[in-house]
Amino acid sequence: MKEELSVVGKRVPRWEAYDKAMGTAKYTVDIELPGMLIGKVLTSPHPHARIIQIDKSKAEKLPGVEAVITFEDIPKRLYTPNRHDLILYHPENECKDMYVISEKARFVGDRVAAVAAVDGVTAQRALELIEVKYEVLPALLDPIKAVEPGAPRIHDFAPNNISLHLNFPGSRGDMRKGFQEADSVIEETFRTSKQLVSQLEPCACVASFGSDGRLTIWSPGQSAFLQRRKLAEIFDMPEGMIRWITPHVGGSFGKYGSLSVEPVCAALAKKTGKPVKIEYSREEDFSRTETRQTYIATGKIGVKKDGTITALQEKLIVDGGAYFSRNSTTTMANMGGFTGLYRCPNAAAEADCVYTNILTTGGVRGYGNSEAMCVLEQLVDKAAKEIGMDPIELRLRNIKKAGDPDNKGLPMETCSLEALIKLGAERIGWEKKRAEKKENGTKMRGIGMAIMMDLSGAHPSCIQHRNAYIKLNEDGSANLTVMAYDMGQNLSGACAQIAAEILGIRYEDIHIVNGDTDSTMFDTGIGASAGLYQVGHAVMNAAQEARSQLLDRAGKRLGVRADELEAKNRRVYIKSDPQRGISIGEVTKEATYNFKGEHLNISGKGSFSPTQSPPPFAAVFAEVEVDIETAEVKLSKILYVNDSGRPINPATVEGQVEGGIAQSVGYCLTENCVINRESGVLESDNFTTYKIPSTLDMPETEIILYEEPVASGPFGAKAAGHGVTIAVNPAIANAIYDAVGVFITDMPATPEKMFEALRRRQAAI
Amino acid sequence: MDPFEYFEPRTVEEATRLLFHFGKRARILAGGIDLIPRMQKGDTEVECVVNIQKIPGLEYIEPNEREGLTFGAMTKLHSIELSRIIQNRHAILYEAVHQITSVQAKSMGTAVGNLCVATPASDVATSLFALGARLKVTGVDGEREEPIEKFYVDYRQTSLKQGEMVTGIVLPNPLPGTGMAFLNLLRTHADIAKINVAVAIVVQNGICREARIGIGAAAPTIFRAAKAEALCISQRITPEIIRRAAEAAADETRPITDLRSTADYRKEMARVLVKRALEKALEMAQG
Amino acid sequence: MKKEIANFKINGRPYEVIVTSNMTLYDLLRELHLTGTKRSCGVGQCGSCTVLVDGNPTLACSTLAIAARDKEILTIEGLAKGAQLHPLQQAFVDAGAIQCGFCTPGMIMMAKAFLDENPKPTRKEVSEGLGGNLCRCTGYVKIVDAVLAAAGAMIKGGNP
Repeated sequence: MKEELSVVGKRVPRWEAYDKAMGTAKYTVDIELPGMLIGKVLTSPHPHARIIQIDKSKAEKLPGVEAVITFEDIPKRLYTPNRHDLILYHPENECKDMYVISEKARFVGDRVAAVAAVDGVTAQRALELIEVKYEVLPALLDPIKAVEPGAPRIHDFAPNNISLHLNFPGSRGDMRKGFQEADSVIEETFRTSKQLVSQLEPCACVASFGSDGRLTIWSPGQSAFLQRRKLAEIFDMPEGMIRWITPHVGGSFGKYGSLSVEPVCAALAKKTGKPVKIEYSREEDFSRTETRQTYIATGKIGVKKDGTITALQEKLIVDGGAYFSRNSTTTMANMGGFTGLYRCPNAAAEADCVYTNILTTGGVRGYGNSEAMCVLEQLVDKAAKEIGMDPIELRLRNIKKAGDPDNKGLPMETCSLEALIKLGAERIGWEKKRAEKKENGTKMRGIGMAIMMDLSGAHPSCIQHRNAYIKLNEDGSANLTVMAYDMGQNLSGACAQIAAEILGIRYEDIHIVNGDTDSTMFDTGIGASAGLYQVGHAVMNAAQEARSQLLDRAGKRLGVRADELEAKNRRVYIKSDPQRGISIGEVTKEATYNFKGEHLNISGKGSFSPTQSPPPFAAVFAEVEVDIETAEVKLSKILYVNDSGRPINPATVEGQVEGGIAQSVGYCLTENCVINRESGVLESDNFTTYKIPSTLDMPETEIILYEEPVASGPFGAKAAGHGVTIAVNPAIANAIYDAVGVFITDMPATPEKMFEALRRRQAAI
Repeated sequence: MDPFEYFEPRTVEEATRLLFHFGKRARILAGGIDLIPRMQKGDTEVECVVNIQKIPGLEYIEPNEREGLTFGAMTKLHSIELSRIIQNRHAILYEAVHQITSVQAKSMGTAVGNLCVATPASDVATSLFALGARLKVTGVDGEREEPIEKFYVDYRQTSLKQGEMVTGIVLPNPLPGTGMAFLNLLRTHADIAKINVAVAIVVQNGICREARIGIGAAAPTIFRAAKAEALCISQRITPEIIRRAAEAAADETRPITDLRSTADYRKEMARVLVKRALEKALEMAQG
Repeated sequence: MKKEIANFKINGRPYEVIVTSNMTLYDLLRELHLTGTKRSCGVGQCGSCTVLVDGNPTLACSTLAIAARDKEILTIEGLAKGAQLHPLQQAFVDAGAIQCGFCTPGMIMMAKAFLDENPKPTRKEVSEGLGGNLCRCTGYVKIVDAVLAAAGAMIKGGNP
């Protein structure tokens, strides 16, 4: 695809950036409606308790309180907050275990009651007046404890609190034989950490029932149509009676693939007949909304002396939290990632998803694959050390190529892993740095790397159904109407670039209509990095249909066939005689105001359902310096070599990588979610206690955008935004391993843990 | 926030009368970066807020050849950061302030306010221990001076009596042969210290005449590692002396395990940081 | 609790508002429907609520409204002159420094205060200047790029 492009591939500014820079962009938390009430949720102070009785009479009598609701007042319909059950081809593993308000307290932060009042102060006071009698039960704050015989059941239907045992269906080969063939076998158990998403906009929702009985929801939810269907099922309403609006979103990173407070907000709106806004504080957001998936992962790798990986095995204990939500889909992605990255004839994985009395584990950027790479890519480096081979060489011996199956089992259109590794190794000076003396005073230098393959949408596991339509305005500009959920990854901007390119108009001529189920057509929602590859493709189809109509119409005006025409720079012109043409604005004006009765509002509708999910690839290199006296890790540099096919907007792709690096730096080194081991209370409940990186914590960053377009992608594009947290963490861990021989199995790698590990290593020498 | 009474006194005298009247239920508002968030979380039982921002004459940095450098209760951390004379003569105060990453906190917050929060993790306070700072205190009975070592009586408890407020800080002028260093350890750059160490020594004719070693976040209050100091006085500061002083300092710590770090790590790091700080201070003293 | 009428000057406009002592400046801005200033943590740790009070970068969540009366308050809404963006706003847009945008108002206001004091900063100084502002999306790289670009533009075209 070597054609000259005007808009695609350019660093054009986001269409919504102006509003955001001016402070006029409205987020859910900024929505104000006349007569709006403030909703607040009462949550359990106990990690595990039966709710014996709730006395809400005092709260109800408080002036300014318009509703106090408990389990008695909500529809008794179990649901799963995650929306995969609606679109998975095999939804059997999904589990509906949640009510709008819980009938039993299963974690500190579980919903027990809710109030709506004229203002926040009154609502808060009302919460304090609700009297709840609990029967406190033993708390199971650890998955190991939760599965012990005799442990009380968190959910009645799950004996030993195992919600699901999963044998990875993609397991292959003969594990016993595979490990027998190996010259070295390494097995390690890792604990990945419960990263708090820390999107800057705290969780919020506004719900309002109109006089026609229609419910309007304003929410940062990622899958408006699917999530409104869930609400429809909970409240026994037809989907068409719910309008779901997505305001600007202050970050989601996958978290809002699950419903959070929408159902309870809607319940309050229903009870009061008024609009209700729930706005969480940071502490409430941290302690009540889903976190990153969390595992105790035992990984085992077998390698021959010549570097061939003969066997890969993973056993997972999923620290699932109080509700099931995305336990199974993240775990399947984890196991697929672990067994699928390398060529290896014998690979197997299994998992136990365990209920625990802590905050629910959800699905966050990386979605199981990040955690799998923490384990796998570190095992690979350890294996390399055992057999005395350079870790890059070991990887190259087992790397997949184009045509091989990816980590979902689909044959890959392209595979640039080898190229990325070589490019990055050359750029960072791998060989020289690996051979160099490590010591620098009291500091030890190290360099490490890791690779990853990800996905462009949840195909083939789920239905993925996208729609877009475009209408040309009289002036030759166009309105693009598409549900392009934008949480900062600039999906809507990229869609505008695609549409503008195809229609031959300017990027700024595209006006985007987004985020409203009343105007946009159906879309299965964003997640698994589906946005650009899939939604972009629907936009491409819509734009091509509109272009077709445009060229037809222009052809009639110019007296030529449509296939003789080109549309570019707001003109339609004859390819063989470019001087002869007509402005697009003229075509559209004439078609709209046609005095011959041949009216046409030029438009196009596009639908897309994928048959592929081409993986983005990355090779990440990290340089560290470890202070052997303080055990602090200083991250000197990260080199990120990325293949997302053709970047529709390189600035956007870079921005996603830079953000992913920052999140990974926190995940690897500083973000420590602390839940009190006795009370079950989240102690790290604000940014004072939970440390995410600031400007000064970022290393020097270099990004190489390697472009290998995929034929199936819109203009050759693949996904970018999801995979950026996957390989950075193990690259850093492997750099630490190179520097001081300490192997990180318990994340985050704080200096306190590093200090202990260095001390143990010193004692062992 | 719960409701409270709010006052904007125009004199120190008015402020102290209000503080005396309301006693434990009163709080001074200077910068507010510690007080307001705590009040929002319902952490303190505050019935009265005394805003001292409108009292003239509290925002200054004044060097004085005889008495030392003084700055006032409303002197912002950012002003301290910009002060050339503090950078040159009281470097560790500059360093302790400069490494606070939040520019907003430094623009709003005052050094005196920071001290009065009385957290043992205050980098600013630990540096003032090593600088031998004295606090100017005014109450309903009059004025007094308090050496900073006496200011903290227990975890988050100062020696201020009812109705008293700190109106300024005095930093004695450094003697010839002074060397100093400030070091701390944090999880991320924008964090409260896990442990901090501030050292100031005076070396004349190769002999250490004075040593002040302040350690923070390693005990209920910031403290001077007296045993470690004693090992240095009247000695040539050799690597061996430094090693022994660092060990002694670590021994004097009584750290806890909390969200930021472990007791064990803090104790070990006290040793490492005191060693490094003494080395750095010695280099400066000799340079 | 006592209610009193207090005068505020926000973005050059006078406001007369009934305040109680326990309102923060953030609460006041919200009452006046100035929703550009965001609150992400409420405890002064994230910088999202940064506004300028008499030119000083100030955390609105940690400031009593009543203590800010009779002072010049500048919020994100007051930066642009009609449709003419402030160079910082333009630079953020051009550099791709805005993703979800929630940190952006606080980031821009802090950057303005920073450049007002240090108009020719190094990259390191810009990083230090933004040390009190958290962002979860961008990794800060393009934000620092934007501030440097704005500094350049403001030296050429003046500091509005």
